[in-house]
Amino acid sequence: MKNSLDEKILEEANDWVKANQKVVLATVIQTWGSSPRQIGSRMIVNEKGDFSGSVSGGCVESAVVRECIEIIKDNKLFKKIEFKVSNESAWEVGLACGGEIAVYLEQIN
Amino acid sequence: MKQSLLKEIIKKKTSKEEFAIVTNLNNGESEIYQPEKELSKEFKVYEKQIQIFFKSKKNGVIENTEIFIETYIRPVKVIIVGAVHIAQYLIDFAKSLNFEISIIDPRGYFASEQRFPNMQIINKWPDEAFKELDTNENSALIALTHDPKIDDPALQYALNKKFYYIGALGSKKTHENRCQRLKKAGFNQEQINLIHGPIGIKLGGKSAPEIALSIIAQLVSETYKK
Repeated sequence: MKNSLDEKILEEANDWVKANQKVVLATVIQTWGSSPRQIGSRMIVNEKGDFSGSVSGGCVESAVVRECIEIIKDNKLFKKIEFKVSNESAWEVGLACGGEIAVYLEQIN
Repeated sequence: MKQSLLKEIIKKKTSKEEFAIVTNLNNGESEIYQPEKELSKEFKVYEKQIQIFFKSKKNGVIENTEIFIETYIRPVKVIIVGAVHIAQYLIDFAKSLNFEISIIDPRGYFASEQRFPNMQIINKWPDEAFKELDTNENSALIALTHDPKIDDPALQYALNKKFYYIGALGSKKTHENRCQRLKKAGFNQEQINLIHGPIGIKLGGKSAPEIALSIIAQLVSETYKK
């Protein structure tokens, strides 16, 4: 059995949109090796950088927030980003577990 | 994603339909897939692969394409017998885990609106109450009254309907007596062994929220064994 234990992020996204916020949906679409969150895990980000949900165990969320704010600023609709193993120079935007993930960002329009 | 699609997805989730969201990662287009629904031209070519993901309830990108599929299945139905203190905590856990809860309790003073706000409680004896519920082998039963008059008929119903999880509150002795009654009622040992009794994993706690946590932990664990 998979996917039943839903986190209701889409419902929250809809609430944010209703409150006139610009919302970007970030979804884990692919994983390689040991990744903290499974495919389909989600977070949402608004234009102010508020976010809810997660796409990793806190490893790449800050980078995802930055990317989402960019998307809203540039009025783009979607973007795919990949995260690999962290290194010392960029400790905050890598996965300490050694896994890799691809995250798809899409603006709700 | 268009807001109209987001609303449609939430509507389908609320009405407990099974569906998938298909997204073209190259152009941002997305739509809903359901077996009886015709896909747009954009996704029609991938219909076979989409069906495979949907049937196996999987999420992922179709190999060598940029098509992402996310499937949604119906939440598991959990029937709680006994609108007792533990049930109040179970509801909180169950909500965040997306279980669909129904509570049965023929005793009006337990099943009050004040104790269970925004929760519909079936104020009937189990035999009558189950007539109002659509249950199958994807359903779960948590019997909490440890009153044979109320719990036993519910347990018998769940065993006959082959619920994937059946748990009953009560001490080892209470459970032993329960097993004897079920044996007398014609259930064999194999069936009786399917009942988790005493209910829950061993946590050590005895407070209502701790017992609720131990029950929900067992339920989640059994849900993944399905």
